[in-house]
Formats: sequence, C-alpha cells, structure tokens
Amino acid sequence: MAYILQQLLSKSAARFPEKTAVWARGKSISYRELEERSNQLAHLLVESGVRKGDRVGLFFPKCVESIISMFGILKAGGVYVPLDPQAPIDRVGYIISNCGIKVLITQDDRRRSLDASTRELLERCIVIGAVKESGNGIGVLPWSALPEYPASHAPQISMTETDLAYILYTSGSTGRPKGVMLSHQNALTFVEWCADKFQMTHEDRLSNHAPLHFDLSVFDVYNAIEAGATVYLVTEEVALFPTTLQKFIQTHQITVWYSVPSALVLLLLHADLKAEKVPHLRTVLFAGEVFPMKYLKQLAELLPAVELQNLYGPTETNVCTYYKVDRERLASMDKLPIGIACENTEVFAVNDKDEIVTQPGESGELYVRGPAVTYGYWGDEEKTRKMVVPNRFQRNFEEKMYRTGDLVTLAEDGNYYFVGRRDSMIKSRGYRIELGEIESALLSHPAVREAAAIAVPDEVVGNRIKAIVAAHTADSVQAAELQQHCGTRIPKYMIPEVIEFRESLPKTSTGKVDRVGLVKDSQPVAVS
Amino acid sequence: MTTKDTAVNIKDQIRQFVTEELAASKGINQVTDDESLIDNGVVDSLGIFRLVTFLEENFGVKVADEEISAENLQSIDIIEQLVISKSKK
Repeated sequence: MAYILQQLLSKSAARFPEKTAVWARGKSISYRELEERSNQLAHLLVESGVRKGDRVGLFFPKCVESIISMFGILKAGGVYVPLDPQAPIDRVGYIISNCGIKVLITQDDRRRSLDASTRELLERCIVIGAVKESGNGIGVLPWSALPEYPASHAPQISMTETDLAYILYTSGSTGRPKGVMLSHQNALTFVEWCADKFQMTHEDRLSNHAPLHFDLSVFDVYNAIEAGATVYLVTEEVALFPTTLQKFIQTHQITVWYSVPSALVLLLLHADLKAEKVPHLRTVLFAGEVFPMKYLKQLAELLPAVELQNLYGPTETNVCTYYKVDRERLASMDKLPIGIACENTEVFAVNDKDEIVTQPGESGELYVRGPAVTYGYWGDEEKTRKMVVPNRFQRNFEEKMYRTGDLVTLAEDGNYYFVGRRDSMIKSRGYRIELGEIESALLSHPAVREAAAIAVPDEVVGNRIKAIVAAHTADSVQAAELQQHCGTRIPKYMIPEVIEFRESLPKTSTGKVDRVGLVKDSQPVAVS
Repeated sequence: MTTKDTAVNIKDQIRQFVTEELAASKGINQVTDDESLIDNGVVDSLGIFRLVTFLEENFGVKVADEEISAENLQSIDIIEQLVISKSKK
C-alpha cells in the first residue's frame, strides 16, 4: 500500500521501467529515468540543506523537469510549492517569503527577474538550462549536475502519510494569496478514489491541461504515475489554440481528459470536435466551475461514447463530490448537480439554524470531513481557525471539518446542487478569485479612493471581471494605468477587463458598497 | 501607396490593437514586435478570438479555425505576415 506519493512512482518504475511516464514539449522520459532522476535530485536537495518539511519552490513553465522536481522534492522529505510562471514577480516574491522557500528550482531568466530582497532569501537555486552568470549571493547549481548524485536509491528519510507534500497558493480576500497545505494522505485519498472510480490502467494516456499550481493537476500527474500510464503535459502554446489542442488529443491518443469546463467549451466552439477525431478518448472529467448546460449537452452529443464526470471540490479538499452525467436525464436537466460525496469523504450542508440539512429542497453551506481535508493555510492560524473548524456534530473525539463557503441544495435523489457563495469569491476559467484581492490591488494605487470588483457572468469562461473605481480627483487616472498597476500585484486572469469610473460608489443603508446594485446595473463585458 | 507603406500600416494597426485592446487589460504597457504574445501573457483563450475577429473585420481576411495557432499568431511580426499572405490571395 502506498502511503506517501513517491511510492506510486517507485512501484510503477519497478513494473514498467521502459514505459514512457511523462511527455512534454516533444521530450519524454521513461519510468526508470523518472525514478532515477528524482532520486538524484533528492540527494542534491538534501546536500543543499533541504530537511523534512522544508518548502522548495518550482518556478518555470511546465516541462518534463517539473515532474522530476515534484518527485525529487518529495523524496528529499520536502514540500513542493509550484509558483505560477506567469505571475507578477511581486506575488512570486511574496509566496517565497511567506512560506520560507530557501531552495528554488528555476530557469536563469526567471531567477534573475526576482527582486533583490527575494534573492536574498534564497540559499540555493537549481537552474534548468543555461546559466549566464551566477552570483547575487545565491548558490547556483545547474540541473546538469544531477548525474553526479546516486540514481539507484532515494535518501533514507522517515516519513508518514501525515507529512506535508505540497502547498498550493490561491487567491486571498485580504489582498495576498494564501497557501493551502496538503499532506500525502490528502492527495492519496483522492488519487486512490480516482484510480478505482475511473478504472485507470497502464494503458491510459492522460492529458495535463491545468497548470501545476492548480489542484486539477494532482489527478493528471499522480493518477498517471499510480497506474503506470503516461501523462502528456499541455503547454500554453497548445492550450490557447483549440484546433492545436484537438490535434494534441488526437495525436497522443489521450484516453482520459481533465480540465476546467471553459477549455472544453472552446474546443466545442472552435475546433470541430468529433468522436471520430478523438477515438481513444473514454473519460472526460471537469471541475473548477459550473459547466453551462447548453454546452454540456452539445459535448454529450458530440462524444456519445465518452463517460462525462463533474467533479467538485475546493483546493482545501481536492475533490469531495462527483456526478456522473446521466445521458438519459441530460436533455431534460437545466442544472448540473455537483453530486454525492467521494468515498472516504463525507459532505453535508448546514442550514442557518446550524443543523445538518436532511430534507430535499433545503439549502445550507457545504461542509467536508475526512482524510482529504487540508490542515489549513500556511502561516495563517486565524484563517485556518475560521475555515477548518472542529466538528461540532460529533463530540466523541477531536476532529476537523472544512467549511467550503459554498451554498448547496440537497435534491430528492440525494445529489447536491451548487447555489452560490457565502462570500465574494468567484470563478473565472476555473481559477478561484477573491474579489477583495482585486479591490486591494486597485486601492493600493494612490489615485484610487474607492474600488469594487464585480463578476459579470460569461457563457464561456464563467465570469469576467469588471471594476468600478472612484478616484480622489476626477480624471486623475486612466483604466490602462490601473490595469498596469494591478499587473504588478495580481495574476493576469484577475486583472479587471473593464474599469468604469464614477464619482463615488453606491452604498447600502448600512454604508457598505452596494454590490448587488453594482452587479444589477452592470452591462455584460463586451466581446469585440 | 507602395507595398512598404501598406506593410507598415498593417503592422501599426496590429500593434495598436494588441497594445490597446489586449495588453492594456492585462496590465502590460509595452509589447515589442517580435515578442511572444503567448509567453508574455498578452493573449488568453478569449483574447485569441478577439484578435482573430479584429484581423477579419479590419483587414477583410478570413482566418480558418485550423489557422488559429501559435505558429500564425505568435507575435506582432508573425501576425503581420499572416495578414499579408492572406491579402495577396
């Protein structure tokens, strides 16, 4: 039985040493190579001072080395932290400092793009590709030094399933991202459930569409490795272009696909998706946002033999519920359920009276308990106490549960339906976005007096973002300048597409910004 | 109008659209002609189609779905080549 993630690799490497484990950018590596390379990297990391529980950052676009790095860090007893290679440097610097990353695996141009203050925090950079110059106080070691380290075995480090495996940063309402801590057990609870539920085999060929800092990638990488299958990493140059993406699925004979719905909608709308073009595809999983029914029905028609599964769950629980699309019911459905709890996970809705919802038609906030639930947020006890709470419905022993902030309704057939959020978190292209983080980026501009970010629903990407801003002095700042300012603090997918200026923001009777009113008189964001 | 003038004009218009309509809303104020619009994050999945609509409406060319690829739309320089090659047909 595997109780730590790297055992999945060691087992498959013993069974299928010569089989391709990972393919990316025209390069592939076998299970043997992945096992040996990650062993070498683990030794190098230990020599670089990495000890159990230490955070190691990954800061480069996805490639074969990304997967070697993830396993290498785990084998060194470390915790990997995937950093968005397209994020503003300020945000990357914040994460490095927030979770105390001292060792970073990166590329030379990215290393040199870091602020001096961030570079000072780093004790060692392992650089993939050419190194122009070392220095700036950081010990730089090239990736090409790996062959000097032992390949046949990993360092001896005693670990249990309760050790941390990785930290994923998501948008935070107070203006800074927050790091969700996930243990080996958290990940394996999900991976083992998927292996069984989706009948994964070594003959499968998985795509990895999601970025590695996004939790959808956990399925792609670890379920491929668990089964002895092959994972094909989709890079931006492919992901952005539906026809190219369809050819990718076709050429690599992908059997299991997992992505946000908007990626599938773009394939539908622009790539002439047909079953005969993707004959190997057997299962399509989607998560991260609500799939618009109109498009889901089209997808089901185009791919009549493909199993379609709606997975639901915040990063804090990975996936906690699922719904297998029932093709017979689909035509008459106007809303897709998030379904029922995954095995080894319990979910329930809690109503305003603080009672567990048992009657169909009743709504409440969704709570999750079980081994998939996170320990909480790195270095943020306050936020952790608020979201990962003692299970007050069971007092026999100490146990935590996660409150999702999602409002759901229990249906007659036992499925849950997503209704909305308790707070101002929204989804766009499957990304979690706290509107408060955008507002705080806008407010940090000296000319801005008041700012509100609102979500404008969009059929394809879920939501598009608009901001309403009141400046201290009228006409003292333009939209482009504010967008540029935001670009230094928040990722591009969070920057408001449209900024509207007003003298002041409308208020409710209690003096708060009237969000409902703003959303009501907001026009859809025009697509030119 | 010479061929060269036309080419400059096409590129100027593409550059203006890319910087004002796509890059600005991503917080980017400068884009060089040979820089990858994919690597720098100027275009996202919706931006690609806004760009194609602009090329079709502004230059009267037709860009087929299978031509919407990194190869044809990588940078301002390359987009210009695409428009020129299509205008000749």
